[in-house]
Amino acid sequence: MTKSVISNDSELSILKGISFTINAGESVAIMGTSGAGKSTLMGLLAGLDQPTSGSITLLNSTISEMDDEQRAKIRSESVGFVFQDFLLIPSLTALQNVTLPMLLRGNEDETSNNKKAKQLLQEVGLAGRETHLPTQLSGGEQQRVALARAFITQPKVLFADEPTGNLDQKTAAHIIELLFEMNKEQGTTLILVTHDANLAKRCQRTLIINDGQCQENPC
Amino acid sequence: MLGKSLKINKMIVNWSWREICFGQLWPVVVALTLIIASVVALSTLALRVEKVMTDHGRSLLAADLVFKSANPISTTLLEKTQQQGLIVSSQSQFQTMAFSEQKMQLVSVKSVESNYPLRGELNLTDQNQQLKHHVSPGELWLSARLFTLLDVEIGESIAIGDAQLNISGLIKDEPELIYNPFNSIPNLFIHHSDLDKTGAVQVGSRVNHRLFVNGSESALVMLQKETVLQAGESWVDQNKQGSTGGLIEKAKQYLSLTILMVILMAAVTLILTCLHYVRDRSETVSMLKSMGASRAWLRLWLSTQVFMMFVVAFVIGSFLGLILEFLLRLPLADILPEQLPSVGAQPFIFALVVALCIGLPALLIPLTRLLDAPAINVIQQQKINYTKKIWWLLLLPFSALLLFYGANKLVWMLLIGLLLLFVFLATLSYGLLKILAKLKWGPAFSLALSRINRSPRNSMMQLAALSGSLMLVALIWLIKSDLLGDWQQTIAPDVPNVFAVNISPEQRQGYLEQVDRLALPRSDAFAIIRGRITEVNEQSVSEHLGSKEELPHILQREINFTWAKELPVYNQLIEGQWTGEKTVSVEQKVAHDLDIKLGDSLTFEVNSQHFSATVNSLRSVQWQSMKPNFIFIFSEDVIIDLPATWMLSFRVEQAQGELVNQLARLYPTVSLLDFRSMGNKIQALLRQISWSLTGLASLGVVSGVLLIFTLLRLSLGERKREITLYRTLGASKKRINQTLWAEYGLLAISAGVVAAIAAEIILFSLMKWGFQLPTQLHPSMWLILPLLAVLIVLLSLSSVIKQLLKPLR
Repeated sequence: MTKSVISNDSELSILKGISFTINAGESVAIMGTSGAGKSTLMGLLAGLDQPTSGSITLLNSTISEMDDEQRAKIRSESVGFVFQDFLLIPSLTALQNVTLPMLLRGNEDETSNNKKAKQLLQEVGLAGRETHLPTQLSGGEQQRVALARAFITQPKVLFADEPTGNLDQKTAAHIIELLFEMNKEQGTTLILVTHDANLAKRCQRTLIINDGQCQENPC
Repeated sequence: MLGKSLKINKMIVNWSWREICFGQLWPVVVALTLIIASVVALSTLALRVEKVMTDHGRSLLAADLVFKSANPISTTLLEKTQQQGLIVSSQSQFQTMAFSEQKMQLVSVKSVESNYPLRGELNLTDQNQQLKHHVSPGELWLSARLFTLLDVEIGESIAIGDAQLNISGLIKDEPELIYNPFNSIPNLFIHHSDLDKTGAVQVGSRVNHRLFVNGSESALVMLQKETVLQAGESWVDQNKQGSTGGLIEKAKQYLSLTILMVILMAAVTLILTCLHYVRDRSETVSMLKSMGASRAWLRLWLSTQVFMMFVVAFVIGSFLGLILEFLLRLPLADILPEQLPSVGAQPFIFALVVALCIGLPALLIPLTRLLDAPAINVIQQQKINYTKKIWWLLLLPFSALLLFYGANKLVWMLLIGLLLLFVFLATLSYGLLKILAKLKWGPAFSLALSRINRSPRNSMMQLAALSGSLMLVALIWLIKSDLLGDWQQTIAPDVPNVFAVNISPEQRQGYLEQVDRLALPRSDAFAIIRGRITEVNEQSVSEHLGSKEELPHILQREINFTWAKELPVYNQLIEGQWTGEKTVSVEQKVAHDLDIKLGDSLTFEVNSQHFSATVNSLRSVQWQSMKPNFIFIFSEDVIIDLPATWMLSFRVEQAQGELVNQLARLYPTVSLLDFRSMGNKIQALLRQISWSLTGLASLGVVSGVLLIFTLLRLSLGERKREITLYRTLGASKKRINQTLWAEYGLLAISAGVVAAIAAEIILFSLMKWGFQLPTQLHPSMWLILPLLAVLIVLLSLSSVIKQLLKPLR
């Protein structure tokens, strides 16, 4: 699979012929220097973007041949995200932020959604903070809400983009613990973009992107 | 499925509600609410004032509509009025001689039916000072002047034509206003049933017939549509009623303009707040997409928000609008009638339509663009390719404008002028700021200038919005002031209200001395010579005008000529110079109608004598000023030898009534035309309109200032992140304060100057070509606008500065 973009009227190759397979339940870290194409690769794997050539198969569906709407449907059913900037909706409470993916999925049972969300918030240590708005939470707490949000749909694949990039060391360690714990509990495939070698070591596999190529770094 | 979508809707509704109350949507809702509140308030008030003004106009007309004809009213027309369920009253008007035992006098007889007048007030007082409002069969009512001229008293009899009638009493007030000092012959009222007895109306005799009509607006329109006018027939409504009709028309145009300008200002705010919201929400949409939100779901989410914003804005805006209208009405309490005319649902429907026409494109175009935010942007910023399909929504406001203001020249002048000016002035001010940036300044100014020049698009938008709103505020106020200034001449306390005409050349000197002895402020005396214009450049006027279908009114009658050494000071010279021999100065509107230019040779006829004069100048004349005014003023060599009578006007206070009688006794052959009661009526009407316009203009200005305040606060809000970052990086409060002041101060001053230039140009065009009034410069505005801008900046900055200076947590 390749990916290039047009920049200042010239074509810039970001990924130059990458090929690999990630099996169900695996945890994989994607590493590389800044600008190497880690986030581009993750966007492609999650179906947020389309490759220039080649194909991508996610959960037995060739997402590189699907249109926007079809890929959105797959994401709502089987994919979870954790972002570096948390990206919570400021006008929604912690509980409402967690139930949001259920709403996007068309899940109608408000009571059961709320019950599930409360349980997840409890798991991430935010019991009693359900009605708080993001502005009333610290960075670490916001990321914990984001974790709960990512797991509420019981996704088959979880994408995490530098999930601890905006947090201090202690909080980051706590979030990572939670992430791996929940991942293990739900048997989710985890694909993690990170600069942190220690974090990468906790994954079963590490893919290193360098000069548009992908190398597997055996753990 | 239905249950599922309803559930989802409930969640989305909750979310949208929170966005409106606590999120980024509230400024958008505020702007939308302001549009609705201003439209509801202004249109409710405008409708009420218009109804009051129309009623007033109609009471001066004596009916809602008048049909004038040189022939008796046809039975077909009367049948039509019956079919439409209209109320009618007939009047015949003619001139004849009235004879008392001692004297005779040419009088204007109005024979009216018992239900006359259908509008306005007719006040008649009999011997016992009893007030009556209608004329009954067998009665005869005389105007005050006729008692002196015929030397009669109430109860005596006079002969009008073949009829001998007893005088029932005095006409104190009558509704129909005829303001023409030269043709005003004293009038009297008789009942229509006595008309035949006078024998005055014969085949071929000159009688003016009028049919006064009252009824619903639609029935009146229908009647006018269905009637084919013959030669000598015309309709008159309150809009076509000479000087007062013109004033009312101008006041109405001003109302339309004010509403439009307030809407424009609110629309600018709405667009800016919405763009601000979209910038802020783009990342959220990408995030929602990354989590699997479909376009359909996003559309539902956004349209729920838009729908809810409209509902909230409509409810609050209508309520606020009514409160505003009530407050605005308080100072007008004395002027407006106790029983206010009801306005129904019209202002609310109008406000909703306006809000939809502006709000839908302003909200949906940027919000739909939100849908194009790609999911990948959540982890990696990419350029967004916007779909352009949604721009058709812009047709909404433009079609609405066409529909509402299609024929309103003023509105189109304003809009096109605005557009052209902004392109020009935006470029000018941008260039100015660029030049300023190249000069050497202190650190605060340099930072501010570099900030303005770094994001030219944003700065230009802000500058445009700020100067646009300032300009509209200035326009609203200045158009009002100019209009009122023009009318002030009619309202002024020293406006002449009595005309003396028919003064013989021998009497002239003595008469003037007498008036001066009585210390009555007076005009100069003018010679009056009646005649016609016959040729333009040795070509008959009709040939000169070529294919014009209808010949101007002025060609169908004799008019008054005069000569003068100097032009009256109250006439404004528009073109040419008042010099030379054998020359004439022409009133500009007549010159336009007759296609007369400077240097043209005009031929006139007076008593079968022909003479020519060259046009040396064009003048603008304010006919409503109640001063002696003439269409043609000749240099003295042209007509000085023709036989003339003289006229002048003077001011008599209400308490000095005896002086008028004294003059009448001293000079019985001089006709005194007393316009005191009519003058009072016109003045009352003008005062009423002036108050209403001042009230409306104040509202316009206040809402404009509020909008500018909102704009600035929004703009400062957008800067919060940047400023808190500076603060975090260690910039001192003083430095940030100075930079902000320099940046916004520069913006305010440039916007003030741009607004002043734009307002002056638009005002000039509006006055000259729109309202057709004399133009003038407004030097005080050049100072006030930048100052006002700086003041608003001061207020908005000081209201947010504390919040801005907090360092990042």
